[in-house]
Amino acid sequence: MSAADYVHGIRQGDRNVLARAITLVESTHPEDRALARQVLSLCHPAPEETLRIAVTGAPGVGKSTLIEALGKRLVARGQRVAVLAADPTSIRTRGSILGDKTRMPGLGLAANAFVRPSPAGIVPGGVSHAAQQAIQLCEAAGYTFTFVETVGAGQSEVAARHITDVVLLLVLAHAGDELQAIKRGIVETADIITVAKADGTAASLSKTTQRQYQRSIRLFPPGPSGLRPRVLTCSAVSQDGLAQVWKAVEAFEEAIRTSGHLERNRTVQARDWVLQAATDALRDDFLQHPAVKERLRQMQEEVARGKRGPWAAAEELVRTYRCA
Amino acid sequence: MLPDFTSIPYRTARHTPRGSVRRAPWMTPEGTPIKSLYSEADLQELGHLDSLPGLPPFLGGPYATMYTGRPWTVRQYAGFSTAEESNAFYRNALAAGQRGLSVAFDLPTHRGYDSDHERVLGDVGKAGVAVDSVEDMKLLFEGIPLARQSVSMTMNGAVLPVMAFFIVAAEEQGTPLHALRGTIQNDILKEFMVRNTFIYPPGPSMRITRDVIAYCAAHMPRFNSVSVSGYHMHEAGAPADLELAYTLANGLEYVRASLEAGLNIDDFAPRISFFFGIGMHHYMEIAKLRAARCLWARLIKPFAPSNWKSLALRMHCQTSGFSLTAQHPLNNIVRTTAEALAAVFGHTQSLHTNALDEALALPSAPAARIARNTQLFLAEEADVTRAIDPWAGSYFVEALTGKLMQRAWSQLQEIEEAGGMTAAIAQGIPKMRIEAAAARKQARIDSRKDVVVGVNHFRAPGSKPPSDLMTVAHEAVLSQQLQRLNRVRATRGPIVVRQVLDGLRAAAQKPRANLLEWAVRAARARATLGEISQALEQEFGRHEGTVPLAAGAYLAESPGTSQESLALSDHFAALEGRRARILVAKLGQDGHDRGARVIATAFADMGFDVDVGPLFSTPEEVARQAVDNDVHVVGVSSLAGAHAILVPQLVEHLRTLGRPDILVILGGIVPQEDHNALLEQGIAAIFGPGTVVTEAAAQVLRLLLNEHHEPVQR
Repeated sequence: MSAADYVHGIRQGDRNVLARAITLVESTHPEDRALARQVLSLCHPAPEETLRIAVTGAPGVGKSTLIEALGKRLVARGQRVAVLAADPTSIRTRGSILGDKTRMPGLGLAANAFVRPSPAGIVPGGVSHAAQQAIQLCEAAGYTFTFVETVGAGQSEVAARHITDVVLLLVLAHAGDELQAIKRGIVETADIITVAKADGTAASLSKTTQRQYQRSIRLFPPGPSGLRPRVLTCSAVSQDGLAQVWKAVEAFEEAIRTSGHLERNRTVQARDWVLQAATDALRDDFLQHPAVKERLRQMQEEVARGKRGPWAAAEELVRTYRCA
Repeated sequence: MLPDFTSIPYRTARHTPRGSVRRAPWMTPEGTPIKSLYSEADLQELGHLDSLPGLPPFLGGPYATMYTGRPWTVRQYAGFSTAEESNAFYRNALAAGQRGLSVAFDLPTHRGYDSDHERVLGDVGKAGVAVDSVEDMKLLFEGIPLARQSVSMTMNGAVLPVMAFFIVAAEEQGTPLHALRGTIQNDILKEFMVRNTFIYPPGPSMRITRDVIAYCAAHMPRFNSVSVSGYHMHEAGAPADLELAYTLANGLEYVRASLEAGLNIDDFAPRISFFFGIGMHHYMEIAKLRAARCLWARLIKPFAPSNWKSLALRMHCQTSGFSLTAQHPLNNIVRTTAEALAAVFGHTQSLHTNALDEALALPSAPAARIARNTQLFLAEEADVTRAIDPWAGSYFVEALTGKLMQRAWSQLQEIEEAGGMTAAIAQGIPKMRIEAAAARKQARIDSRKDVVVGVNHFRAPGSKPPSDLMTVAHEAVLSQQLQRLNRVRATRGPIVVRQVLDGLRAAAQKPRANLLEWAVRAARARATLGEISQALEQEFGRHEGTVPLAAGAYLAESPGTSQESLALSDHFAALEGRRARILVAKLGQDGHDRGARVIATAFADMGFDVDVGPLFSTPEEVARQAVDNDVHVVGVSSLAGAHAILVPQLVEHLRTLGRPDILVILGGIVPQEDHNALLEQGIAAIFGPGTVVTEAAAQVLRLLLNEHHEPVQR
C-alpha cells in the first residue's frame, strides 16, 4: 500500500487500514518508518474537537476496567472511542502478553470503538513515541476520544503527559495514616486522581484515602493547567462514581479549552515532537547506512576485545557517517 | 500391526533420566524430595498414624468396612448429542455392569443458553448432552427409575435450571424428592479458578451454590448437594499439594457460606462430597486421597459437629485426561489402569476411568466398554478389595502422606490469610499458582525431563488413530433440539411462564428467598434453561472474568530448549520490523483454557507478541480482533469438538474482512480424519496433544517466514 492508500483508507474509517497503519508506525523496519512519516504527514492536521486521555496507575489498579466502563458509556451515546494500550515486554525474550482484548471485552467488540494493545517493546523513543503517532491516526480515522493506557511506573506517566490532554491517575485505597505515595510528581502529572475499586469492604477506606489526597495536594502549587487535580472515588463493579469521573474529565476539558491551555499544550507538544521525529529519522538513516553498518560491527568487536573504549568507538562511527 | 524389524537399525534405547541409580533425592513437582529408601525412622514424627478407617480423622477411609463390604461404584461420566441417544447409552452401560450414572451436559447448557441461541450453535450436543427443558431431562432418564438409580450431574453455572429439571423429571416419574440419590457438582469457585463455565459474577454465584445446598438439606437428604472438585485443577496443571489445598479451601468456603445462611453444620456437611483427579504419580496420588480425608476432618472439627459423618470426606475420582496421548492410543489403557489402581488404593467411593481414545474424541462404544471393564477387572479379578487401607503403615506412603499434608496445609494458610478462597480468587492467587505449575510441567515434558512413553521418549513409528472414533451428527442433533424446543414453547401456557420468570427475578432481589424453589416452579411451567438463566442474568449480570497471565514460567523450567525458536523469532522481527504477533483464541463455549494459556505464556517466552482473546468468542469476533490487532497468526485452541464448524468460519470471516493473509492454526483435540478437510479449508497447521511447544513455535515462525519473506534454510 502507498502512503496515499493508507490515508484514504484511514479517512474512510476503514478499521482494517487503521490497524495496519498502526503496525506501520510501530515498525522498526527503516522502509516502514519512512513510509510511516509520509502517512503521518498526510494525516496532518488532526481534527480539532478531539480529546486525548491518559489513564495511568500501578499494574492491577483497574485501568482497563475503568476504560471499558467509561468507553462503553461514550459508545452508547454515539461517540467513537479509540483505546491504545501498552503491555510490558520481557527484556529477556522480547515477547509480550497483550491482554487488553480480554480486559475490555465489551469495548473490543463495539462497532464504534477501536482497541489496540501494543507491546511496550524495546522501541526507540519508548512507548509514547508510537502511541503519539497512533493517536494521530485514530483521530484522522474519526475517533473523537482516544484513551492511552500506560503501565504506571513513574517514567511512563511523565511520557503520557507529553502526548495527551488530560491525565487520569488511578490509585488504590491505602491503609495507614499518612500517604507515603503522595509526591510532588503526582500532582504535576495528574489532572484527575481517582481512588479505584471503591466497593465492598474497601468503600469506606477509599473515602479516607480520597480525603488524604485532597488534603495533600493543597500543599503543592497547581500544575501547568492552572488547576489543582480533583480527587474522586469510583468502582467499575458497582458502577458507583463512574458518572462523576467522566463529569470531571468533561469539566477539565471545558476549563482548558476555555483557558486556551489545551491548544497551548498541544502546540508545545508538537514543538517537542519535531526534535523527536528528526532524531528518529536521523537514527534510522545512521543505522541503515552501509558504511556505518560495516564499521559498527568492527567497532563493537574492538570494544569487546578491549582495543578501544566505547566512547572512542562512537566518535569513530559518527565520523564515518559524516564523511560518507 | 508389527513394524518391519529388518528395516529398523539396531541401537539401544537411550538412557532415560530415571534409568540411573540416583543418590540425590528426586524432587516431585510439589517440591517434596523423594529418597531412594524409607525406613521406620521416617515414621517418627508423623502424627497421623494412630487411626482406623471409619473413625475420625478417616485417614484410611470414610467407612469401617470399605471395599470388603462393597467395592467402589463404577461411575462413568457420559453424555452426548440428544437426550434419546444418551439415554440409550446409559441403559446399555447399566446393563453391562456400571453402577452409577454421571451426566455430561453440552457447553451451551453449562453456560445457560438454549440450543437455538446464536452464540452456541456450533457447540450443541458436542461435548455432552443438550438439555433445554424438563422434556429433555425426562427423556434422558426414560426407563431409568430415579428412586433406585443414583445420578451424578456435572453442572455448575446453570445449576438452578438443571437441578430444577431433574427434580421435576423425578416428580413426574412419581419419585418423591427425599428418595433421590446422587450428586450435583455445584462447585462454582473452581469455575472461577480453572474451568470457566460460570455465568454470573462471584457474589450471586455463591448465593446460588448456597441455595442449592440449603434446598437439598431441607428436601433431599440422600443427595450430595455439592461435589468440591479438585479434578479440574489437577487437569489444569495443579500438583497434588495445590489440588488438595485449593479443593479443601473451596469446601471450607461453602461450609462458611451455608453456616452464614443459617444452616446447621450437621444438616449439610455429611452431604458434601469431593472429586479428585488421579494422574501418573502413583504414590503421590494414593497419599493425596488419604491426606484429603485427614485434613478435611481437621478443618471441620472446629465447627463442632455432633454427627461424625460431618467430618468424613467421601470422594469420587477420575483418571487424568491430560495424561492420555493421541499417539498410540492403546497405551492409554495401561496409563488409565495404573491411575485407577492408585484411586482404589487411596480408597475412593466411586471412580471414572477414561477411555483410550479420549485424547482424540468422545469415547466410542468399544473404548467406553474397555474403560468400564478396567474397573471391573480391578474390583472382581485382581483381589485388591480384600483388605482395608492396604498401604497403611508403609514407610514410604505414610511419610509421603505426612509431607503432603504439611505442604497442602501451608498452601491452605496462604488462602486463609488472603481472606478465604473468594478473596484469594479475586486477587488471582490460585489461578496464578496453577498456571505457573502448568507451564513448568509443559516445559519438563518438552525438555524430556518428564517421560511420556511414545511421545517424548521411546517414540515408535506407525501410530495409527483408531478408525471407529465417535462423531456427533451435529446437524441432525441441532435440528432435533430446535424442534423439541419449539414444541415446548408452543404447547405451554405463556402467561404462567411469564409469571414464574417474574417470580424468579423478584426472588433474585430477596437474599432470603431460595432460588432453587423458584427455578423448580419455572421448570414445572416448562420455562427453558435459557429463559431461567436469562431471567437471573437480568438481575445478576453475566460475568466476564479473566486474570492476567504471567510470562516466564515456561522459560524458567527449560531455558535451553527454546534457543531455536528465539533465534527464528529474532530473525523474523528483523525482517518484518516487529515481532511475530499471535492471537491465542478460544472459540465457542468451551472454557478449558489450560492449553490456550500455556501456549500464550510459552509463545511470549519464545519472543512472540501474544494477544490473548476473551473466552467464549464467536468466529466473527475473533476475526475482528485479529484484524484490529493486525496479528500474523490466529491460534485456536479446541478441546470440545466445535472446531470442525467454527474454525472454517473463522477463516471465512478473515477473508471477508480482507485479511486472508492472517494464518489460522489449530491446537487441541482434533481427530486425524478431520485434518485433511481442515487443511483444505485453509487452516495452516494443526497441532495435536503431545506437541512440543518450542517446536510448534518454530514451525509457526517458519510458516510466517515462507509466507512473508524468503524461505529459510533448515
